[in-house]
Amino acid sequence: MSDTVTTEVPVYAGVAELRRIARELLDAGDVRVIIGWEHARRGARPVFITDAADADRLIFDARCVHNLVTYLNPRRDNVAELGKIGLVVKGCDAKAVAGLLREAQLTRDDVVLIGVRCGGVLEEAELPRAAPLGPENVAPRCFGCDNREPELVDHLLGESQPEPPRPLTTIDERVAALDAQPLEKRWAFWTEQFGRCVRCYACRQVCPLCVCERCVAEKSRPQWIEASPHPRGNLSWNITRALHLAGRCVDCGECERFCPVGIPLSLVNRKLQQIVAERYDYAVSDDPEHAAPIGDYRLDDKQEFIK
Amino acid sequence: MTSADPTRGTYFITEDDLRALTGELLGAGTEVIAPVALDVCASPSAIASSACLRPGVKPIDIEYRALESAAQLNLGSGLPVLSLKQYFLPEYEALCCWRQHGTEIEIEAVPTEFAPRVVLAAKPCDSAALAVVDKVMNWDYADELWNGRREATTIVNLACPVVDESCFCTAVGTAPDDAKGADALLTPVEGGFLMEATTDKGRALVEAHAARFTAEEGAGGAGARGRQAAEERAAARARAAANLEIDAASVRDWIDTHFEDPLLAALGVRCNGCGACSSVCPTCHCFDIVDEEEGIGKGTRRRCWDTCQAPTFTLHASGHNPRDSQNPRYRQRINHKFAIYPLKFGEVLCTGCGRCTRVCHAGQDLVEILQAIDIAARRREAVSP
Ligand code: SF4
Ligand code: SF4
Ligand code: SF4
Ligand code: SF4
Ligand code: SF4
Repeated sequence: MSDTVTTEVPVYAGVAELRRIARELLDAGDVRVIIGWEHARRGARPVFITDAADADRLIFDARCVHNLVTYLNPRRDNVAELGKIGLVVKGCDAKAVAGLLREAQLTRDDVVLIGVRCGGVLEEAELPRAAPLGPENVAPRCFGCDNREPELVDHLLGESQPEPPRPLTTIDERVAALDAQPLEKRWAFWTEQFGRCVRCYACRQVCPLCVCERCVAEKSRPQWIEASPHPRGNLSWNITRALHLAGRCVDCGECERFCPVGIPLSLVNRKLQQIVAERYDYAVSDDPEHAAPIGDYRLDDKQEFIK
Repeated sequence: MTSADPTRGTYFITEDDLRALTGELLGAGTEVIAPVALDVCASPSAIASSACLRPGVKPIDIEYRALESAAQLNLGSGLPVLSLKQYFLPEYEALCCWRQHGTEIEIEAVPTEFAPRVVLAAKPCDSAALAVVDKVMNWDYADELWNGRREATTIVNLACPVVDESCFCTAVGTAPDDAKGADALLTPVEGGFLMEATTDKGRALVEAHAARFTAEEGAGGAGARGRQAAEERAAARARAAANLEIDAASVRDWIDTHFEDPLLAALGVRCNGCGACSSVCPTCHCFDIVDEEEGIGKGTRRRCWDTCQAPTFTLHASGHNPRDSQNPRYRQRINHKFAIYPLKFGEVLCTGCGRCTRVCHAGQDLVEILQAIDIAARRREAVSP
């Protein structure tokens, strides 16, 4: 712990460029707001820069874990009314932009994307300063990331970054450890996890791809999902949320990070990713032309489960 | 050692005796709710936690739980993730059950009387929140379930050393050593705790376990232990005050008269409307009432936590939504807590526990927001006295 705090973290080379581009975009009137990260009292957090004079508040370091694409949700009226957005994105975030494009929630001209070359992020944003990444503090999803230099961007900043370290356990190893358990044990695990859910819907609100005008969880006639946080209602909510993100989830980890009771949602998300990869040979990318299985019909789709 | 005289205010109890008292309560079948340290790595959740593989510090979650044994009682300073609210306004509870017989509907009521229970080592910001919420629960309608649980419960606070830089109880009229909403207060001292019983329920608890307490010498805390307790309590208050100092009355009046001020009107821009802040907040008390069918012709009407941060909270059947974006929704959170409620009930609907700030991964920071409003309010007073 002590040496991770005292070690100097090299300043990310792209920050000066980021501030300059933000200033230029705002000055030229190409965008009305830059959404990026700033350093605040409790650590890194999203910031909305509308005045070029404030561009120096922008930062980028390993604490910038937030997927800011959630602010592109067309139903965020208070963000949309600020005007055209310039958005700072990591690779995983760019995949979420591609998701919105794929699903016609957005057109490419609606947003200027400022990509940052990424070397992985920390598990937490609320730290006084960025710590060097190591197996004990790296966000597990960063291991093996295939999109650290996003292509779907208008600007790509910084220098190529080293690969993120391998975490103490990878998400795949955790999923495998769960899969290796007998059914009753897995059932006990998930009932305990989902039993804690308080149905705040933070996981849904923060997800860049949860964009439904009216969530199925809010329908009362008929009521598909029981609204109270009892174990039965929680199970149907959590499974529905995960299934609705199957093949769409970009593994940004925001749902898990926001869950106030710490339910390991990334394990369900990853399991579904694995199933989608196996059945449809599909991995989510930042290419919006690459249709997701949920929006794509193929004659050779496996359907042996239809009896 | 003489047994305590329950007519006097302050008693001393050792930790062993406090645990023995807890054991006596449990032995008599009384429910005892208290902070418990949950070892994440010993639970099934371990598989999901990389921290469990990390050498050194293991992740511990503090939660209020119904104790299974006196040994579980956690007397540390950690703040439970969820507040004490869940034991008075549970995440969900049945209001009645119904069963249809042809055109007749049979309603089965739920009990509104509760067995006596004890909360030990409650956080002062959590008990104070109950006293604040009592007002709305007894405003135009006396909420039987809330009141029933309140009456059945004896709450013993544990003076808090202040958790971190997001605590600000002293700025909103309470304190880390407050017994507001509680029946007694424990303060850690050399060799054990000083216990002050502040209500009849608190005194009854001391009386029922008189052999576990000794009357503290020097009335009014004049003895050595009393002085130690007073010093530590004053230091904790100073720590909370260093985090935030506001004039709650002028903040209230400023908010009340500046509904459209850009400071209030644009607060929600980074907020996701996720409502995690309401879930963990000890004073947020809004609930939704839902009918859940359980098969054909029968079901349960339940109430469950709701949040003003959700768009559906104010969605009318017509489709109109008076709070139609996250800006007015977040303003509502501030307005309700720091202006509407104090104007109506004379109390701020916030006890400064800081949970909302800690839980918010979008970086909404109540300390910072209150500071900004306080500055605006003071500036106005300076201009127009
Ligand atoms: S998943 Fe990839 S792009 Fe996203 S933060 Fe990790 S390394 Fe960077
Ligand atoms: S489901 Fe979770 S990890 Fe996947 S895109 Fe949504 S917030 Fe990110
Ligand atoms: S964020 Fe967590 S507690 Fe809230 S609804 Fe989602 S799973 Fe449940
Ligand atoms: S303030 Fe934070 S915790 Fe509360 S609703 Fe907004 S994003 Fe969620
Ligand atoms: S508003 Fe925040 S600080 Fe105040 S009582 Fe609620 S959670 Fe605690």
